[in-house]
Amino acid sequence: MSTALADRPRRTGAARYRQTLWLLTSRDLKVRYSTSALGYVWSILDPLVMAGIYYFVFQVVFKRSVGEDPYIVFLLSGLLPWMWFNGAVSDSTRAFIREAKLVRSTKIPRTIWVFRLVGSKGIEFALSLPVLALFAVVGRAELHWQVVFLPVAMVMQTVLVAGVGLVVAPLVVFFRDLERATKLALRFLFYASPIIYGTQDLPDELHLLAAFNPLSGIFGLYRAAFFPEQLDLLEVLVGAGMCVVLLVIGLGVFRASERAVLKEI
Amino acid sequence: MTPTSGPEPVIRVDGVGIRFRRNRRGRRSFKDFFSDSSRRSRPGEFWALRDVSFEVRPGEAIGVVGRNGQGKSTLLKLVAEVILPDTGSVTVSGGVAPLIEITGGFVADLTVRENVYLTAGLHGMRRHEIDERFDEIVDFAEISAFVDTPYKHLSSGMKVRIAFAVISRLEEPVILVDEVLAVGDKAFREKCYARIEQMLADGRTLFLVSHNERDLKRFCARGLYLDKGELVFDGPLDEALARYSSDHPPRPAA
Repeated sequence: MSTALADRPRRTGAARYRQTLWLLTSRDLKVRYSTSALGYVWSILDPLVMAGIYYFVFQVVFKRSVGEDPYIVFLLSGLLPWMWFNGAVSDSTRAFIREAKLVRSTKIPRTIWVFRLVGSKGIEFALSLPVLALFAVVGRAELHWQVVFLPVAMVMQTVLVAGVGLVVAPLVVFFRDLERATKLALRFLFYASPIIYGTQDLPDELHLLAAFNPLSGIFGLYRAAFFPEQLDLLEVLVGAGMCVVLLVIGLGVFRASERAVLKEI
Repeated sequence: MTPTSGPEPVIRVDGVGIRFRRNRRGRRSFKDFFSDSSRRSRPGEFWALRDVSFEVRPGEAIGVVGRNGQGKSTLLKLVAEVILPDTGSVTVSGGVAPLIEITGGFVADLTVRENVYLTAGLHGMRRHEIDERFDEIVDFAEISAFVDTPYKHLSSGMKVRIAFAVISRLEEPVILVDEVLAVGDKAFREKCYARIEQMLADGRTLFLVSHNERDLKRFCARGLYLDKGELVFDGPLDEALARYSSDHPPRPAA
């Protein structure tokens, strides 16, 4: 045996996992930003245009009675994290299919195919926060101490997106219709989550139901930085529980279907 | 490099079976893949491999022979651990450099340089290790002038060359080769052969799937002969080839 082979230290599984996850996450970002001159702008533009549309419709046309002022900050503080959730979940429908060749030829832990999406969309979200800050300054929104909940919200959302992705990614390989179903469910969820409104604006009988949507608690935590009244402890606790439950389900589904997924692609 | 001398096997395949659906368009129910994988065979499924067991010691060069569809590539993928067996177990101690779908990890929009770091990294190489080998990899592929060109602009020959150069430079003790040498022009193919021979001389273990008798004889001493998903013969390569050609005469009469 040559010494080069024998002496090479082998790394622990965790270090290798982190390296691979980072490689694929940064690859996603690199591809995104190298293929278009406006790379970063595009990832910001989408939520900005959406925010502009909702602002016009609800503030200018309907003279809204929901949400809080400044409404544009209220909108963006829900829309930006929504873009993370929406982007990662809809991309996870193609997590295996798009990377089929790579999945077939490398032996990396398969959960990475999902977690890299959580990571790259999460990083894009973090990079979009300065835009929110800018609007907050311009709109003269008051910053409260509740801004410390930002990391809590991000951790909860990471757990949630990972859990949903782990369910969706393998199942789409068998049921291609699920790709469309997921798109539809996301559209429904957009209006069912407190993005253009706050959970306080819901009728009383819907409050408990809304708490079971983990996005309610998460968006409440984000918004608390500017609108402390949007924070509802019940929503946060129920939401945290839902996130953990979804992650456990996700890991279960993923483990049960991994073998079959590898055969199928 | 004698097959009998190695202490611990690098590859241990024990009672491995794997089944696939016959009809890929067939319907699937949720029940189907939540039920545990046991030995029962369901309608519409077939065993691509069944009860295959063997061990490979460090430094051995093994050729896998058999007709198309007898489970050769499946066996290779199981050893590469990119698919998982339904029964039995595959244990590979030490890393594997799989020359299977070698261009699979390359991203069209990224440059050759970025792709080399990406692919080598995905196979477990560290950054400084790639730094040290980068020039050599690019020289071997003969594309030094194109390192900052997006991968999609390379010719198909260049694509295969850079992919082979990267994977064959992985410092892993086991190399898996699946007919990959059929690609590239003659001069480059010869270079690939030389690289594989050199890796064997370094004490690596080779696992080769090929229909080409000359290639098999050139590298391998031991042969595995697969037929209908079963390991029919495991022994000297010449014997394996003889068994294979007597079961399946190369040129059928009339």
